[in-house]
Amino acid sequence: MEKMNLNKHISGQFNAELDDIRNRVLAMGGLVERQLEQALDALAGLDAELARTVIDGDHKVNGMEVAIDEECTRIIAKRQPAASDLRLILAISKTITDLERIGDACVRIAKAAVDKRAKSQEPLLVSIESMGRHATRTLHATLDALARMDAEQAFELHKEDAKLDKEYEGIIRQLMTYMMEDPRSIPGVLDVLWAARAVERVGDRCKNICEYIIYYVKGKDVRHTSYEDMEKDLHQ
Amino acid sequence: MISIQRSNMQTETVDLANLPAQDTALEIRNLDLRYGDKQALFDVSMKIPKKQVTAFIGPSGCGKSTLLRCINRMNDLVDTCKIDGEILLHGQNIYDKKVDVAALRRNVGMVFQRPNPFPKSIYENVVYGLRLQGLNNRRELDEAAERSLRGAAIWDEVKDRLHDNAFGLSGGQQQRLVIARAIAIEPEVLLLDEPTSALDPISTLTIEELITELKEKYTVVIVTHNMQQAARVSDQTAFMYMGELVEYGDTNTIFTTPQKRKTEDYITGRYG
Repeated sequence: MEKMNLNKHISGQFNAELDDIRNRVLAMGGLVERQLEQALDALAGLDAELARTVIDGDHKVNGMEVAIDEECTRIIAKRQPAASDLRLILAISKTITDLERIGDACVRIAKAAVDKRAKSQEPLLVSIESMGRHATRTLHATLDALARMDAEQAFELHKEDAKLDKEYEGIIRQLMTYMMEDPRSIPGVLDVLWAARAVERVGDRCKNICEYIIYYVKGKDVRHTSYEDMEKDLHQ
Repeated sequence: MISIQRSNMQTETVDLANLPAQDTALEIRNLDLRYGDKQALFDVSMKIPKKQVTAFIGPSGCGKSTLLRCINRMNDLVDTCKIDGEILLHGQNIYDKKVDVAALRRNVGMVFQRPNPFPKSIYENVVYGLRLQGLNNRRELDEAAERSLRGAAIWDEVKDRLHDNAFGLSGGQQQRLVIARAIAIEPEVLLLDEPTSALDPISTLTIEELITELKEKYTVVIVTHNMQQAARVSDQTAFMYMGELVEYGDTNTIFTTPQKRKTEDYITGRYG
């Protein structure tokens, strides 16, 4: 498929609406990214106050999801978008769902930071830190690919998620040894494990967003396909 | 990895490039058309599948109506018009010298933008073509009239006033009457040249509903300025631009993932 030009509708108003909705998704992405950074900082420093800021901030993320979704509905009803415009709206509508879920993951991480039981397991939290940094980088790069609608970068990031999954497995193994050593630590370790799980889910959500980017740019639905097929679709 | 069953629509897609002869209603081959010095169609080739709806879309002056008119040789009426290439119906070139144009038009019916009933009764409008063919048996004409009016989804509205003047009908009803007239002689192909552009939205929906029913018996080719209409009613869509066939394919694909930039720009309203 040939490259698309985004801003050349005969209807200037339609151009403005599409621009606006793209900007709002990026703004939502920025907010979620900040939430994730703060949640991880809160967990690393066991900073309950910062953690509460994150928890309180989640309603902003939710509000943005609802507002952008409404805008998508309105554009579909009024403009009957076709082809790349239609794919853009659908991709946006799905992206915001995943962003909102990343927001929920941030809350989960932040809750672990407030939790007294998790505090007793402070040394364990270090292991999440490096994974968290990895997840933050992935989210940042995904939002970057979204801003530029870069299918190649989205594909590279999509492959990246496997590494995050590996790190998560490593953490689980480590946490299991702790639990076997001292069963009394189980409640606290479990809290850490939930937080690690939340971080891992951020990677999965980013992977989904990458699939929507590819769908928008290439018009190919690459969900649940192998990397070989994805690569074929991408370079067709 | 287990492969996921994608949408059912894709499995029904017709392979237009390799359409077998028994599924092809019309085949257009390397058609060039000139009005005097001005060339209006450039090397158009396409296969139109049987009993499906094929839509021609494109900006004004792109040649879509000209192409439609070629299919029942309406352009013969234009003196300066010169046509090269072939249109095959049942494997025979309709531009062959041996072809009887009247017989061709019996096989290929046409409906125009503005409803054009004759200044006669509803009944006489419908059976007009049959009378021309020499059919005068009252019972047969009655049966044909009812069948055609039912086929055009207007029977219930006119059955009690068949002998009233056709001009008393609304625009949408007149257009359906004209469609009834076209299908009374049981053509194989129905050409619709912007059949709803002079109608209100509700009549438009009735005609669109009718088009979907018509394809059970007829091959329908429709020219429309309304892209959403093409998206709603057609199985295949052909996008034309400056006399060339730019892209021709499954309607679902054309409206979600067109392959050509020009098609993309046109259907998303970026044209111009």
